[in-house]
Amino acid sequence: MKTVSARQLCFFLAFIAPVGKLILMPSQIVFDAKQDLLFSAALSYLLQSVIVFLVLLAAKKDKTLFALLRERLGTVGARVALSLLALFLFLAALLPMLEQKLLVQSVFYDTLPSILAFAPFFLFSAYLCFHPIAHLGRMWDILMPFSAVGFAGLIALSAGAADFGALLPVGASGMGAIARGTLHSLSWFFDSALLLPLLGRIEQTKRLPLKGTLCYLAGGGAVLLVLAVFYGVFSDIALRQLFAFSRISKYFPGVAVLGRIDYFFIFALTLVMAFYCAMPLHAGVECLKQAFGDTPVRAGGYTLAVNGVMFTLSVLLNYHFLRTQTFMTHTAAWIFPLFPALLVFVLLIGRKHEKA
Amino acid sequence: MNITGKRDQDAGAIKEILPAEDILTFDFRAAGGMDFTIVFTDPITDKELLGVLVVRPLLHYEGAATVEAVKERLTSPEVRTERDLDKLAEEVLAGNPVLLFDGADEGIIVGTKKIFFRAIAEPSTDVAVKGPREGFIEDVKINTSLVRRRLKSPELKIEFLKVGRRSATFVAMCYLEGTTPSATVEEVRSRLERIDIDVIPDSSYLTHFLVHKPYSLIKQIGTTEKPDIFCAKIAEGKLGLIVDGSPIALTLPYLAVEDLQSSEDYFVPQARASLTRILRLLAMVTAIYLPAFYIAAQLFKLQLFPIKLLLTISGSIQNIPLSPSLEMLLVLFVLEILNEASIRMPKYVGMALSVVGALVLGETAVNAGFVSTPAIIIIAFSGIGLYAVPNLIEVTSVLRLIMLLVAGSVGTYGIILVTAVLLYLLVTTENYGVPVLAPFSPLRRRDLKDSLIKFNLTALDRRPKTLKSPNKRRLS
Amino acid sequence: MKKHDRLHRLSVKLWLFLAAFLVFAFFSNDFGLVDIQKTAVILAAGIDKGEDGYTLTAHIAVPKGSDRSKGGTSSVNIKGRGDTISACISDIYADTGWVPKLVFCDLLLLGEEAVQENSFLVLDYFLRNEQMPDSCQIAVCEGSAEEMLSSASAIDDTSALAIEKLLSDAAEKTGQLTRTTLREFSIGYYGVSESGKMPYLGSKTQSGAESAQGGAQAQDASGGAQSGDEKIYEVRGSALFSQGRMVALLSPDETFAYSLLQGEVRSGTFLAHENGEAVTLYVYKNKGSVSLSLGDVPEAALEVVLRVRVADRDGATDVSDLTSSIPSDALLQDATAVITQAISSLWARIGESECDLFQLRQQLFRHHRGEYELWRERLLSVARPNISVTIRPVE
Repeated sequence: MKTVSARQLCFFLAFIAPVGKLILMPSQIVFDAKQDLLFSAALSYLLQSVIVFLVLLAAKKDKTLFALLRERLGTVGARVALSLLALFLFLAALLPMLEQKLLVQSVFYDTLPSILAFAPFFLFSAYLCFHPIAHLGRMWDILMPFSAVGFAGLIALSAGAADFGALLPVGASGMGAIARGTLHSLSWFFDSALLLPLLGRIEQTKRLPLKGTLCYLAGGGAVLLVLAVFYGVFSDIALRQLFAFSRISKYFPGVAVLGRIDYFFIFALTLVMAFYCAMPLHAGVECLKQAFGDTPVRAGGYTLAVNGVMFTLSVLLNYHFLRTQTFMTHTAAWIFPLFPALLVFVLLIGRKHEKA
Repeated sequence: MNITGKRDQDAGAIKEILPAEDILTFDFRAAGGMDFTIVFTDPITDKELLGVLVVRPLLHYEGAATVEAVKERLTSPEVRTERDLDKLAEEVLAGNPVLLFDGADEGIIVGTKKIFFRAIAEPSTDVAVKGPREGFIEDVKINTSLVRRRLKSPELKIEFLKVGRRSATFVAMCYLEGTTPSATVEEVRSRLERIDIDVIPDSSYLTHFLVHKPYSLIKQIGTTEKPDIFCAKIAEGKLGLIVDGSPIALTLPYLAVEDLQSSEDYFVPQARASLTRILRLLAMVTAIYLPAFYIAAQLFKLQLFPIKLLLTISGSIQNIPLSPSLEMLLVLFVLEILNEASIRMPKYVGMALSVVGALVLGETAVNAGFVSTPAIIIIAFSGIGLYAVPNLIEVTSVLRLIMLLVAGSVGTYGIILVTAVLLYLLVTTENYGVPVLAPFSPLRRRDLKDSLIKFNLTALDRRPKTLKSPNKRRLS
Repeated sequence: MKKHDRLHRLSVKLWLFLAAFLVFAFFSNDFGLVDIQKTAVILAAGIDKGEDGYTLTAHIAVPKGSDRSKGGTSSVNIKGRGDTISACISDIYADTGWVPKLVFCDLLLLGEEAVQENSFLVLDYFLRNEQMPDSCQIAVCEGSAEEMLSSASAIDDTSALAIEKLLSDAAEKTGQLTRTTLREFSIGYYGVSESGKMPYLGSKTQSGAESAQGGAQAQDASGGAQSGDEKIYEVRGSALFSQGRMVALLSPDETFAYSLLQGEVRSGTFLAHENGEAVTLYVYKNKGSVSLSLGDVPEAALEVVLRVRVADRDGATDVSDLTSSIPSDALLQDATAVITQAISSLWARIGESECDLFQLRQQLFRHHRGEYELWRERLLSVARPNISVTIRPVE
């Protein structure tokens, strides 16, 4: 339980990370790239997979992030860098958390529930944050079938209703639109940063960086498939469909007879999503634990503070989601590939600190 | 305190240590004029055997007044000596009489304990249509003999430890040397030796001392009443504990999947075995989740019902005075009471209970409009599902209640979050280095062959990797 | 050890607090809860446009209680009026105290007046509403939707369910109607074609007929009983839409031709003649396609391939005639002419109405992106049809 095995890491990259891209990202990309959404998403994936590869290369040093940073930046520098990474992760957590809140309000309730209906998520997140991050490895083992069944089920139920011709003509939106689609989807791509606090706890196997990156791209393939089906089903009204994965499957003929059997798959993916949405907070708390100590009292303190702040934000931003989304996807989008890339470059090619 | 060699004084000393009224003494004189005193516990000493094996041979004794000479004259196969009066008193309490005479520097313990035990029968909690029908009883020696009969190997080690300050209960630790990891054996032994409790009335008392997370809801120790299952688990590389006075043996480390397995699975075709295992899992999941989803759907998400079912339910719950969640809680409460009462109630009033439970509470409550038919159907179905995996009822019934409370207050999302926490608890629970949820998490592909899907016996050529047995191969 | 015990005690307290909170929430829950008893389950909604705004007729399912002997589904119609659809829904809530839930709404019926202007003035609300399933069927009806939904059906207790039976998948295979869901209609409207279609429904009186289900009589909100005559609903063609407005009505023959071109007909029939005698041909198998090609002028290839057999003729001369279902060459020729004629008529109707029923603009956009701007506006008026009908017997 103290380390994450290579298999578990691959499961995370291939099966868990993709679920975070299924709620609002599809309609966000459609807004810019329309029928060329696959190119925008693929570019984002490629960009992120390069950083994932670099992080996994850094993982080969088999030292914790704090140890690696201390070698290069000294103790104070390492603490500052870890604090910044924690802040970055809390920022990254914001959009998935808010979109999951909207998803819950829309998909799990017939009438708009109270803001408090999402509060249990923070209890769950706090419970996770208090525990060591490497425990998640086993969780990924058990979540893998949920994710696989969820993806496969939704695709199977919805592919029949999709008109894949809607993805034509290829490239008609233009390079500008595709690039904008990529840029505005970057705030959903922070998986490399999630791996950073795991450094030193990843079991090393042969060619892990390559295998991990390929798994991440395979997960990307699944996301692209969902995007293709999504656009095939909704075509010109795809922009309006906010919770992509929960909408595509209801046109299956059996749904009319048996009821919403697709909810089985939606619930399976939501279960995986709960872990994925809590993970940036968990990773952020782990950064703080590494930087400033991980006694139970301190861990409890970080956990309560972080989840308390996020809960407060979720309440305060309840009526400002669009503004938040615009900020995250437009104003702050560049920071999502840049910050982890910068950090991993420091780890890989930074000079060793004199005092180290 | 040691024996003094003065018969009256020593017998008095033992009686002083054991001032109970059922501790008796019997004095008699041998032909040679030598006086003897036997101290024994009246109800648990076989007095007839004592007469035949001890008194009768000594009545004609004319030899020397030494322990060795007297021992030789006794015809009992189980004769020991002890100098310490406290230990002699313990033996008297265990049912073994102590023979004293003047000049003896040791007390002679004679094994004429009267053993009360019921016949070996099929355990009611673990019935197999096909397969062995023997079950453990309350006597540790009989139970170990049932194990020994199945594992006639010198590698089978049965270590007896005494646990309990007052009860001095025998605990038999059974394992296969070279197959059960020695670290597990050492740790269990050390944990048992460290137990400082006055009485161990049943094996369940030990579990608290043997598991790594004693406060967890998750089951962490295996239980069985069947020697065949017990031996199979030991042969896999696990360690078994038989506690005197308890028909329920413990096995560890525990894997959650073992409660989905049944001894019968190994006597039926693999397809049938796999199917029943999946059915058991589905039944358990249904039992936990069905009432919760029913409530969540009614309160928060009608779309979970197909429209025709919704209209049927909607028709049934018209004019029910309770809210859907309270109605379900009430029906569950009644079911739990009925369940509890039917277990404890004398068998001859069982029929009356069925009538009261099924007819009066069920049908009349529906007709009177207290509860709706769907609520009763849902709880009944859930109740049946629970009993498909009898070894997990304690856990699953609590989980069902938790899910119901969550569903009634937060809805489906609450159910999903509690499931997430439950999964997290499951995957992070491990005992003796073995994760409870293995072979699913951590994933051990080879061990999956005897998990939910059961492969042919010939495919199970190796012991489960999860158990870290030093002896990996079981089929050559 | 002490620290561990303290932490353990703290966690026990936390769990106890959580459990207490959960129990409290369970017994006093109000997370915006609207449970099944306070809900009006809308099975269908009819929308009419009048001078004083919109009228929304919500066809609400009413449970029959535990009496299973009655069978079927009861329903009531509640009317709401307002300047917008949302206002109509609020009106229903204000009048009845029921919370209208659209999650089970499977039919949107638009009255004739509502489609004379852009129908998305009406449909906008349903598209925006997160709870509204966009897989619901939409249709136009002759007269007012309220009247149709409030009428007593001869084939079901609930008129909405009777209409849904009419719009079933099996009915579509006969070629007599073309079904459309809210999603499909919206995609057509917001897509480059800006066009769409809906089944056009009417009703006829069936005097003295007894309700097939024998169930409860539907009543409107005012409690007045329905007229004694029961109605049979029928499809009277397909309404064509351009930019959201109804622009033409396809006849049943043209609707059949359209269905053939979509390749959707599996068990339909049509009439042809042989030696002046009417023969009904049964369509066993149908392939159809409409493809656009660009030469000097755009050309639409309308192709239909059918496998047919004789289903009925005016009079068989002998038993062998009755046994054979293979149509003669002359009959096939006439059948080809009939279908070609229907397709020509359909094409002409499309040209007149400017409704891009075959999504030709979409094809132009998808497959001839370079020439899209050139032809986009005039495509329907300049495109030439190239009709090909092949009918083969089932032997």
